[in-house]
Amino acid sequence: MSERLEDFSLGKTTQPKGSIQKVGVIGCGAMGQEISVLLSQSGIEIAFIDISDERIESVMKRIERQLDVRISKWGLTNSEKRLILSRISGSTNYDTIKDCDIVIETVNTKRKGTSLELRQDIFKKIEAVVRPEAVITSNTATLMISEIASVLQSPERAIGLHFFSPVEKIKVIEAVRSLYTSDETYAMVSKLALLIGKRLIEVNESAGNVSTRMLVPLINEACEILMEGVATVADIDVIMKETSGLQLGPFEMTDKIGVDKVLKWMENLYAEFGESKYKPSPILKRMVRSNLVGRRVGEGFYLYSGSTRIPKQGSVIRLGRI
Amino acid sequence: MKIIVLNCGSSSIKYQLFELPSQRVLAKGLVDKIGLKGSMIKHWRDDQTEVKLEGEILDHQIGIEYLLGVLTSEKYGSIKKLEEIDAVGHRVVHAGEMFNGSVYISPEVITALEECIELAPLHNPPNLKGIYSITKLLPSVPQVGVFDTAFHQTMPNYVYLYGIPYSLYEKYKIRRYGFHGTSHRYVSKRAAGMLDTPLHNLKMITCHLGNGASIAAIKNGQSLDTSMGMTPIEGLMMGTRTGDLDIGAFLQIINKEELDISVANTLVNKHSGMLGVSGVSSDMRDVEHAAEAGNERAKVTLEMYYYRIKKYIGAYAAAMGGVDVIVFTGGVGENDAATRSRSTSDMQFMGVEIDEDKNKSVRGKEAIISSETSKARVMVIPTNEELVIAQDTYDIVLKL
Repeated sequence: MSERLEDFSLGKTTQPKGSIQKVGVIGCGAMGQEISVLLSQSGIEIAFIDISDERIESVMKRIERQLDVRISKWGLTNSEKRLILSRISGSTNYDTIKDCDIVIETVNTKRKGTSLELRQDIFKKIEAVVRPEAVITSNTATLMISEIASVLQSPERAIGLHFFSPVEKIKVIEAVRSLYTSDETYAMVSKLALLIGKRLIEVNESAGNVSTRMLVPLINEACEILMEGVATVADIDVIMKETSGLQLGPFEMTDKIGVDKVLKWMENLYAEFGESKYKPSPILKRMVRSNLVGRRVGEGFYLYSGSTRIPKQGSVIRLGRI
Repeated sequence: MKIIVLNCGSSSIKYQLFELPSQRVLAKGLVDKIGLKGSMIKHWRDDQTEVKLEGEILDHQIGIEYLLGVLTSEKYGSIKKLEEIDAVGHRVVHAGEMFNGSVYISPEVITALEECIELAPLHNPPNLKGIYSITKLLPSVPQVGVFDTAFHQTMPNYVYLYGIPYSLYEKYKIRRYGFHGTSHRYVSKRAAGMLDTPLHNLKMITCHLGNGASIAAIKNGQSLDTSMGMTPIEGLMMGTRTGDLDIGAFLQIINKEELDISVANTLVNKHSGMLGVSGVSSDMRDVEHAAEAGNERAKVTLEMYYYRIKKYIGAYAAAMGGVDVIVFTGGVGENDAATRSRSTSDMQFMGVEIDEDKNKSVRGKEAIISSETSKARVMVIPTNEELVIAQDTYDIVLKL
């Protein structure tokens, strides 16, 4: 019946080589969602993979809710929202990422211990479906990209790409080359960074890169100060924000990242370096055991009611509870 | 000479194929929804063939390749092969202080335009995409850039400077540039032609009223002033842009709503204007319907819209020491009799009077709508920026 535009192609432009049209996101938690929105906003199609249809539905709902919040704060229009959503689709099937130019692994495991095997397993699954020139990246903060990529047939296509939350605002991405990473792979992620208006900062492979290694001792020291009774959670946060130009204080940050995630970083760094500055503070362990893991459960160092942060009044012995 | 004119927006490309010097339009169309679902090309040929072709258009280059494919196709084409295309003219929004006229696009010009991205971050990047695509698809075909800002480069410094520390102008070229220059230039020339009076003898006020809107004071054929400034936000209230806004009020909004720069930019560019005040729509027709149905906010929106045009007409008449011709163009200016009537009402004191019957009868065609006794002529002239671009391209390519 009707003719298609494809019938009028001159065959000059197929998919331009090295262009970035579609990106896969594996594990669409908070970070995966932020990355998906940012990329989609830059005109890139997103295929994300998550563990179940229910989860995919909830991810799409969350993304939509976040975009609605941005509209209500004037940052976005309704048509832009529709545009962003139209480029994002989720699936449980890895086949949907087979035509991706770059795949970003952003899984967030709640399991105890290392998530190395999980990420390696994902890397293998990605490599099994994507084109030979596709780049595979991990958003890991504390694991070594060389080790994750060692299971690949072509480890030169892998690179660490560490985004920071809020992805929309923070202008830098840490790029971590493994021993194998090729120049083509690096060029490809450089292009991605350019497309989304970020600056890529290349760091040498080391657990925690720069950001997490600096952050972890800061949080540990803040816990130490809290345990000594020098100042309250809120006061420590205010002092650090005002004097060090931080956007969030150490406790606000921990709640936002997730106390469990911070603890995991510390355990990984402590295992890697064996230095006491990375040894997790007992407060963090107690909080994780009590599931006071921060904003996403409504309680961490602070209580949360919607988007409002409420300081807790109790003693540190009771983790702030009265 | 066969010339393609391209006007590349963020997700669409308007195109026309001209034959020069006859100025005949052989074909035209729209590549729509680039990078989105439902992307397509709507194509028209001068034998009235019309076709809508759907398919996946991921980016501007693919869109341009398809439109070239359609133009050279047996079924819908107007030419047999790409080699028949002699030149491509591009609409480019912002050229800063770099160019005061249209130019042949050399690699140096591309670099200069890339430097202007900062001045028009929404418009220049898609314009450049069009240029990059043609460079790739038709490497030997000369390209010409026609700039929205160029016509207003004649504004004197006391008009284009802002009352800010001069060093900011020197450092960042913060000044007024004005836009819609191609349209103001076209309708002013056309008006002079219709009146059979030389442009250099006329004091003209041209009102380009579309979704974006600007007014220009054109004295002796040169732009003396225009309502848009460094960006298209300044001046008249528009579909979704604020127009003139007290910076103190803006700072207060930023403070109260805790906005960062990019969000503040979206607020004044996309959430404001008729849409923001009325809460109904950015489209004049929707706002008018709502007002007719009794919507008070829609009513005040319309009053604001008319009043601001009127205020600028008065100001520009004063700036030029009178006005001989007022021209309305753009979607609203060409079609909306109410806007033309209300924004020129009670202006008999300065020699402006509309014939309401004539005014009401004119939609989208050239006409004089002022009364017999009106000292100044009020005119409706559909704009034709594409023709200006084609003509400029022709003139420049001939000299290469």
